[in-house]
Amino acid sequence: MGKIRFAILSFAHIHAWSYARVLREIPETELVAIYDDSPERLRRAGETYGVKKLYNDVEKLFQANEVDAVIIASENSKHHALALAAAEAGKHMIVEKPIATSLRDADEMVLKAEKKRVKLQVAFVMRYHDSAVKAREIILSGAIGRVIAITATNHGKYPGLWFGDPVLAGGGAIMDHTVHVADLTRWYTGDEFSRVFCRVGRNIRRELKVEDNALLMCETRGGVKVSIDCSWSRPDTYPVWGDVYTGVFGEKGYLVLDAFKSNVSLVESGSPMTYQYYGPDADRNMILDFLNVIKTDGKPRASGHDGKQALEVALAAYESSRSGKPVSLPIKE
Amino acid sequence: MSGGETGVCLVGCGFIGLTHAERWRRIPGVRLVACVDLEKERAEFFREKYGFQESGNDLDRFISLDKVDIVDVCTPTYTHKDIVLKCLEHGKHVIVEKPISLKLSDAKEMIQKAERSGLKLMVAHVLRFWGEYVLAKRLITDGAIGEPSVARAYRQSPFPSWAWENWHDYLNKGGGVFVDMSIHDVDFLRWCLGEVEEVYAQGGTYVRRNASSHDYTHALLKFRNGAIAYVEGSWIMPEDYPFTTFLEVAGARGILQVDNQSTASVSLHSSGKVERFTPFERDGYYLELQAFLDSVIRDTPPPVSGEEGLRSLEVVLAALKSVLTREPVKLPLEADVIG
Repeated sequence: MGKIRFAILSFAHIHAWSYARVLREIPETELVAIYDDSPERLRRAGETYGVKKLYNDVEKLFQANEVDAVIIASENSKHHALALAAAEAGKHMIVEKPIATSLRDADEMVLKAEKKRVKLQVAFVMRYHDSAVKAREIILSGAIGRVIAITATNHGKYPGLWFGDPVLAGGGAIMDHTVHVADLTRWYTGDEFSRVFCRVGRNIRRELKVEDNALLMCETRGGVKVSIDCSWSRPDTYPVWGDVYTGVFGEKGYLVLDAFKSNVSLVESGSPMTYQYYGPDADRNMILDFLNVIKTDGKPRASGHDGKQALEVALAAYESSRSGKPVSLPIKE
Repeated sequence: MSGGETGVCLVGCGFIGLTHAERWRRIPGVRLVACVDLEKERAEFFREKYGFQESGNDLDRFISLDKVDIVDVCTPTYTHKDIVLKCLEHGKHVIVEKPISLKLSDAKEMIQKAERSGLKLMVAHVLRFWGEYVLAKRLITDGAIGEPSVARAYRQSPFPSWAWENWHDYLNKGGGVFVDMSIHDVDFLRWCLGEVEEVYAQGGTYVRRNASSHDYTHALLKFRNGAIAYVEGSWIMPEDYPFTTFLEVAGARGILQVDNQSTASVSLHSSGKVERFTPFERDGYYLELQAFLDSVIRDTPPPVSGEEGLRSLEVVLAALKSVLTREPVKLPLEADVIG
């Protein structure tokens, strides 16, 4: 089998740059084409990765028939159209999280991929982070007993770019940062969320049109109490981008995952301290697993369905913060 | 205040009584007049250890002694009201352990009685004197992080199974983990962020299966100023888990964080166990008791009033109500939650 040829559909999401790096590092993959609707970004990405085939029209990219698979890293609300086009062209795909900005969009993407028999994997990279794999293994081993409660945080800085655009992003911190830890909860417990309550705090950055902090109080069908802090509460000068943290309270023990804790503290003269990460490369693990899914006709560890279930938690949080009441899942859009 | 010394009577020779006795003993100008406990032997042990002049189980006799100026009430929460009212009756200033009581109506009665008698009533919310929390409060007040938006506070320990007659097992004696322990964080957050408008909480009884009180509760507080906070109280930590606290407050201009594990200046590693300590000669307990003593001597309002204790109680009771009703609860509460 020759190299698996990839296209990255949009570098709007900052993770695209890391995925491109991985595609270059892995011997069996090649980044052959890039689509982007921003000419400036298209040029910059092409230059950075030495990619010659640059498209501002995704249909033309697929017509050229140069790729086997795509990674969709556009603005959240544009995942839907790109995923439908990729499926139509018969390409396997990784879709950045959140899978979409509405359940209807997510459903259509999942159905279309099934119909066209292509793989749709959602970029829940935490499922491919060695520390989260280990945490889940410990939980499933029964070492902490039955899970009672989970305290989850996915803090960050304000990502800038289009993340503050309510239409392109589909929301703010809730849309951006609820889904990873909601997904980890589902993955740890094998359980679905049944209830979500959410409150949004007054904005840290008053100029933003979207919420930059919020707290969620959730319950799973099995009765696990889950709290999620999805806030972009880290200032620009914070030593690290943020965190992915889960404190799991069991009947027999307590397990803490602090996934990006493996850092070297660095102070360069004239700058504030930074944490330099040396932990596992989850993006690389995820793409390697995707190749395996393609080769073996297997199931992605994080599927389109998983993407939709996590999105539903975020959407329920918005509904709860509007109504002031707990929202039962599944929700009606 | 005979002979320039202030006379203290300690009521309740349990865990917190011991903690206080050890501080009172070191505060200049204090005369340890008496220590009282239902168990005479326990009180006698305290007398010998800390140098109280007298000990015994006759509450009325000791709290009515002329040379007693201050009564320090360190008994289980459900007994606070009767004891505090009695002390006020005898004309004594009172510092009472948190929570002030389990009922809003009881707390109000205590506050009114103190006001009418012109006596000091302070609730021992010790975080207001606790090094890292005092500094955090000062930084917030000074505007170091701008207007606060979102906060987190954890307080975790194994179940306090050492308590007298396991009173923490009972909803109507201790109120459960959030009422008893998370009231620390709730009171601190109120101190920094102002009044709470709404509480949503989840929790239950998980490890102390036969208890009527909850051993795990986490809550989302919404403040009148628009800030929000996550407060977690856990008594379901495994045996040997070190008592752990964490605080984070993020605001428009910055963020502050502190925990009691990574900041400990003494660590003891022994047989698979780690204990961390941050010793201070004048720690939060010392400063708290000293501050009450000062307010008595100078006749100034106590640093944590009964009213403050009442408001913090109302928030934790709202959390309990939310756990029981599974709905968000608005403040002020219209009725008591614990019968």
